[in-house]
Amino acid sequence: MLFTQLFINGLQTGALYALIAAGFSLIFGMTRIFHAAHGATFTIAGYIFYECYSVLHLSWPVAALAATFAASLFGVLLDRYVYAIIQRHEGSFFTVFVASFGMAIIVQNLIAMIFDRGAVTVSTPLSKSLEVMPGLYVAPIAAVVIVCAIIFFVALQWLLTKTNMGIALRALGENPTLIEVYGLTPRLLSQYVFLIGSILVVPAAILTAATSGLNPAMGNHVMLISIAATIVGGVGSLRGAAMAGLILGMAENLCLAFIDPQWSEAVTFVILFLFILFRPGGVYGRAVMS
Amino acid sequence: MIAYLQNIAVLFCINAILALTLNFIMGYAGIFSLAHAIFFGVGAYATAYIAMHASDSLLLCMAASAAISAILSMALALPALRVRGEYFVAASLGLQVIGVTIFSEWKSITGGLGGMIGIPRPKLWGYTFNDDTAFLMLALVVLGIVVGITALLVRGSFGRSLMAIRDSESAAQTYGKHVNAVKTLSVAVAAGLAGVAGSLYAFYISFINVESFVLETSILLMAMVIIGGTGTLFGPIVGAALLMSLPAALTYLPFLPPTELGSIQQIIYGLAMVLLMMFRPGGLVGGRSKEKSA
Amino acid sequence: MTTSTSPQEILLEIKNVNKNFGGLQAIDDVTLDLPAGVITTLVGPNGAGKTTLFNLITGHLIPSSGTIHWLGKPLKGFQPWQVARLGIARTFQDLRLYSQMTVEENVMTVTERSSWLWQGGRQAAEQRVTEILTETQLLDKRHERAVDLAYAERKFLSLARIMASEAKLWLLDEPASGLDPRSFDRFVTLLRDYAKRGITICIIEHNLDIVIKLSDRVAFLDQGKLLAQGSSEDILKDPHLAAIYFGERA
Repeated sequence: MLFTQLFINGLQTGALYALIAAGFSLIFGMTRIFHAAHGATFTIAGYIFYECYSVLHLSWPVAALAATFAASLFGVLLDRYVYAIIQRHEGSFFTVFVASFGMAIIVQNLIAMIFDRGAVTVSTPLSKSLEVMPGLYVAPIAAVVIVCAIIFFVALQWLLTKTNMGIALRALGENPTLIEVYGLTPRLLSQYVFLIGSILVVPAAILTAATSGLNPAMGNHVMLISIAATIVGGVGSLRGAAMAGLILGMAENLCLAFIDPQWSEAVTFVILFLFILFRPGGVYGRAVMS
Repeated sequence: MIAYLQNIAVLFCINAILALTLNFIMGYAGIFSLAHAIFFGVGAYATAYIAMHASDSLLLCMAASAAISAILSMALALPALRVRGEYFVAASLGLQVIGVTIFSEWKSITGGLGGMIGIPRPKLWGYTFNDDTAFLMLALVVLGIVVGITALLVRGSFGRSLMAIRDSESAAQTYGKHVNAVKTLSVAVAAGLAGVAGSLYAFYISFINVESFVLETSILLMAMVIIGGTGTLFGPIVGAALLMSLPAALTYLPFLPPTELGSIQQIIYGLAMVLLMMFRPGGLVGGRSKEKSA
Repeated sequence: MTTSTSPQEILLEIKNVNKNFGGLQAIDDVTLDLPAGVITTLVGPNGAGKTTLFNLITGHLIPSSGTIHWLGKPLKGFQPWQVARLGIARTFQDLRLYSQMTVEENVMTVTERSSWLWQGGRQAAEQRVTEILTETQLLDKRHERAVDLAYAERKFLSLARIMASEAKLWLLDEPASGLDPRSFDRFVTLLRDYAKRGITICIIEHNLDIVIKLSDRVAFLDQGKLLAQGSSEDILKDPHLAAIYFGERA
């Protein structure tokens, strides 16, 4: 029964991780920008939702919209006013990464100052666990998480394959110069990528707020998962990142059957190391050697 | 007052060594490491363990700290350097996270969360550095040696190899540079010297625990290097001095709530990092934007 | 310095080399010999596979079949840096100079092969660097950063690097494109000088005037196949090849 419990928890965590990782992988795969502030986007979305729903007592759709707005604004503005300027001058991987990282530090500490260092949770009627079977506790929200993730992925798939913009976005990742031929600019498309990538974390943030809670430093963990999942799944593969997110979430929970909780984060990185050692291309990616 | 200044000075020396060594791989080799605090920690724990269980000899402990850190870093570098730079960041981040967990859990060696207490002062040729002023002298000498080693390497053939790899790895390969060997060696040197800093730290503070070697520390070191200026010899020293004086400077501003000083500090250097990367990527010492390749 | 080799000694032998990428046959059964002291030019339309051939020689790509022998030994499974240490060097179309390093450092670092922290032979290396910078007329620019050089100077720096590499085989990818006439003459003189010392030189070039002035022999590639090789007159006068080159295909 412990195993089934962990399995369901893993599914829930995995679904959240898949969304987060997909957002990061989309941005990195298509713009080659190592968006180290992705975790900050997540934190902002979570806290805005918390503020609107639990503190200001607005309805959850309104709170969700506010969170979405805040997250997308952050992502898009960061791209437009920081990354764009850097890329114009010199734009090496290092410079963009450091600026992104600096942003993440600022956000983490601002939130710590405004909201409090400790953890906060959003309690909803769906969060309470019910004993579905003897020894098996599931909260209805777990189902919400999984359904949500599926809906968003279906929507993303549709966007990328059936809409013009989606196809143009995929072209951006392969061959930026080709886009200019069609009268579009890589800059503008980059903004769209950041918009979509940032929106993808919002459901994950809201659901995390309702399940395990929020704390200002959670952006770090989000980044770790994003990076690990992107590499394990294969750079450039959205499907890979999502799958890897799921796998990592499952692994993180299932391993609790064998080891202490302090080591669960380490498990993520052991998996990452193994992939770097033996299959750097990830599950779906091409083999990448320097 | 003198004691306070001496204390700051010793800590400055230690931080300067860490910043210099991190710059060696970040600024000269273009390798991104978020795990520098771990090599610092490995050096500190190694010295603490040896000093308390075997010998408090300065040279022995420092050599051991350097060697263990260097060897550990090669275990990270050899696989991770085979693939692209972004992967090394991820791997180093992983090492940082796992390292902290190991420091916290391996009670027999590191004392677990409680850490290690009662590390003696080191002994060199019969003299024990119990006096704080004497220890400051020691720290300055070690810093001087590290600056010397770094300068020699950077201005010599090895430094040229690093910079060639940084500027155009494909050209460097084409002209006979064994890129992986050079990169791995540079990581080993940086980690080894960071281990020496750790050794100094353990001897000085006489009590160490995992809190000094967490991700925030690696981030602080990175900020020192970036703000001071990558790829310059004195940039990291300037960065270390600046970022160390920040907490003290902030206490002089009366309108800042004291409980939030830590966060404000971090916001300041986060902001510095963003602004510098936008307008002056070479850092304060390094100068204006580096141009695209020839 | 370079040891003398008997003229016309074949140093690089490419035999029946094929390279395909998935469905694309980039190099199709190419057999080519590069003798010492001879300047061979590879010509052909864009996409003919010329740079791919270079990449196969330097170890950046592995042949799908066929062999490449250098000084009698097969070049199988070597990494680019190992191939370099065997005496093969190349330049790139986009130069890839060490942009933040000075002219002197760019050349110096090529002479420093070892990966260790310190290496000896400093004085001899410095002397050689000065000689090379004098030959390429870059001596007064020795402390300038590569990124600050003028166009022609950059091309000569690229050549200086290969001179410092002490390689016996030079693979040059469009080395003289865009050079003004005076610089071009200097360039040709320098290359011929080194060819006389026994270096094997192979050049990729599009500009036919350059081809005529530089080459002893010409090899014509199209769609991965070696269509013809011979003296520059023979190849350039062939109307069939001209038609292919200028895009009129049957």
